[in-house]
Amino acid sequence: MRRRLSQVGSAVVVLLFLAPSQGLAQWVSWYKFGTEGSYVHETAHLLFFCAMLFFIHEIFQAHMQKFRGFRCLVWAWVLLAIWNVDAFIGHWADWTLYNPVILGEGWDRRILMDSFQTWLVYITKIDHSILLIPAFLLFYLGLRALVHKPGAE
Amino acid sequence: MITLPLAPLWVLEYLSAIIVLILAFLSLRLSQRLVRQDPENALWLFLNWLAITFMILSVTHMISHFLHDLIHYWRYPNLALVQRIIGGFDTVVYVTIAAITFFFHRIQRLYQRMEADHHHLEQTSHEILALNREMEALVMERTMSEMALGMAHGIRNPLHVIGGFSHRLLRKTDEDDPTRAWATAIAEEARRIEQMVERFETLAQRKTSFFAQEDLNVIVRSTLDLLTPEMKGKNITLVAEMCSEPLVGRFNKHLLKVALAHLMRNAVEATRPGGTVLVRTAKEQQFALLVIQDTGRGMPQDVVEKVFVPFYTTKIGGTGLGMVFVRQIVDEHRGVITLESKLGRGTTVTIRLPHRFTDRPEVVDEFPPGAPPTPAAPGVPETGPKR
Repeated sequence: MRRRLSQVGSAVVVLLFLAPSQGLAQWVSWYKFGTEGSYVHETAHLLFFCAMLFFIHEIFQAHMQKFRGFRCLVWAWVLLAIWNVDAFIGHWADWTLYNPVILGEGWDRRILMDSFQTWLVYITKIDHSILLIPAFLLFYLGLRALVHKPGAE
Repeated sequence: MITLPLAPLWVLEYLSAIIVLILAFLSLRLSQRLVRQDPENALWLFLNWLAITFMILSVTHMISHFLHDLIHYWRYPNLALVQRIIGGFDTVVYVTIAAITFFFHRIQRLYQRMEADHHHLEQTSHEILALNREMEALVMERTMSEMALGMAHGIRNPLHVIGGFSHRLLRKTDEDDPTRAWATAIAEEARRIEQMVERFETLAQRKTSFFAQEDLNVIVRSTLDLLTPEMKGKNITLVAEMCSEPLVGRFNKHLLKVALAHLMRNAVEATRPGGTVLVRTAKEQQFALLVIQDTGRGMPQDVVEKVFVPFYTTKIGGTGLGMVFVRQIVDEHRGVITLESKLGRGTTVTIRLPHRFTDRPEVVDEFPPGAPPTPAAPGVPETGPKR
């Protein structure tokens, strides 16, 4: 595990320092909707969403949902699928939000809720954080159930 | 106008990121335990890979959001490039998760197929084993029966001599001769032994435990009933021409069904959709005739010659024992099986079964024209060669 993490870390460092700037052109302003990077990221969220649904389908097709561990995994995938939809909408709203009004300084900063889109950004940002916790918790609980009942497969 | 604080968003964001990071780490450890428990389990490997990607995701996601907030709300535009790169990693991780899941789907399908094949193979080997045991018992009984008949024959010859001479002695001995009583006793005991041998012989000839009076037509019909759905599924026409009168003989119903089902399956496999399989029963002198003819792809002569050779098969996964058993079953019924095949035109299997065990047909005379002589070592795969 340590070896794998160090490999990934090394790869990140190599990319950061050796990647030519032209090669990163597709990611310039990727957080602004309409660029290649934004489309790629949004498509990745859709793929992630489809993969989760697909896996749920697989579990049901193999009749594995009768085991507690797999039931937890199914709920984890459901939440991750919702999270992806939320992220898809949230990113779109965030990246197309033109010049949001931020008032105050430091931790006292406040955002002016002057449009529906601003509300959408604010709410999806909350969902984005909230949905991940139960999803990962269920993933953990599912794996734990499978470890304790190895015959569940 | 309403204004909402950004601080709760940030707190929630980082709190969530830290919890997710911890859960991802714990999940990763659990997935590693699963893999250690069963390193060859495809599902555990998949979950382990997923846990690794989730771990990377939790790290890159946290950094990405942190940088995003620094750039947007804390005015650090210089970090934009780093944020783009980390954000790009997020994208890569999402795609990786999708790729792992879709790849797992294929692996899972292969795994299931392997399991099914394994199960099928196990079942087939059990069936072959059971069949083999039955054949062994049958052969043993037949051997014992033949030995008993041989012994009876061996006893009867000297017994005739003893009986004959004792009678001659009796005729040549005077009424008042004291040895006459001895000759009488010898003659009577010899007759008694002869009666015992006769009874013993009758019992040995019976062989009732494995063979019974059965009608071949009934056996064929019941086997065809089992195979009809399979043939309909492949769009193959079955033509059954049953003999109008019952073909009663001493048959082992179970074994004959096994043999017929195997031959029929071979015919179905060899025949293309839209083809025809003909099954015909008839009476031919003292034999019951069974013909299975298909319009399949046929076999070349060199394959036909090896059809009854044990372990010879042209099929992937075939055992090369099916036709060996078929041949043995026919042999046990004192019958003869012949096979004629022409490439592209189909195969015809002919079985002649005597109504009584003693009436074994002459092999050479009974061959259809063009058919090969009986091979030295009979039999073909349980699955049989491609026709």
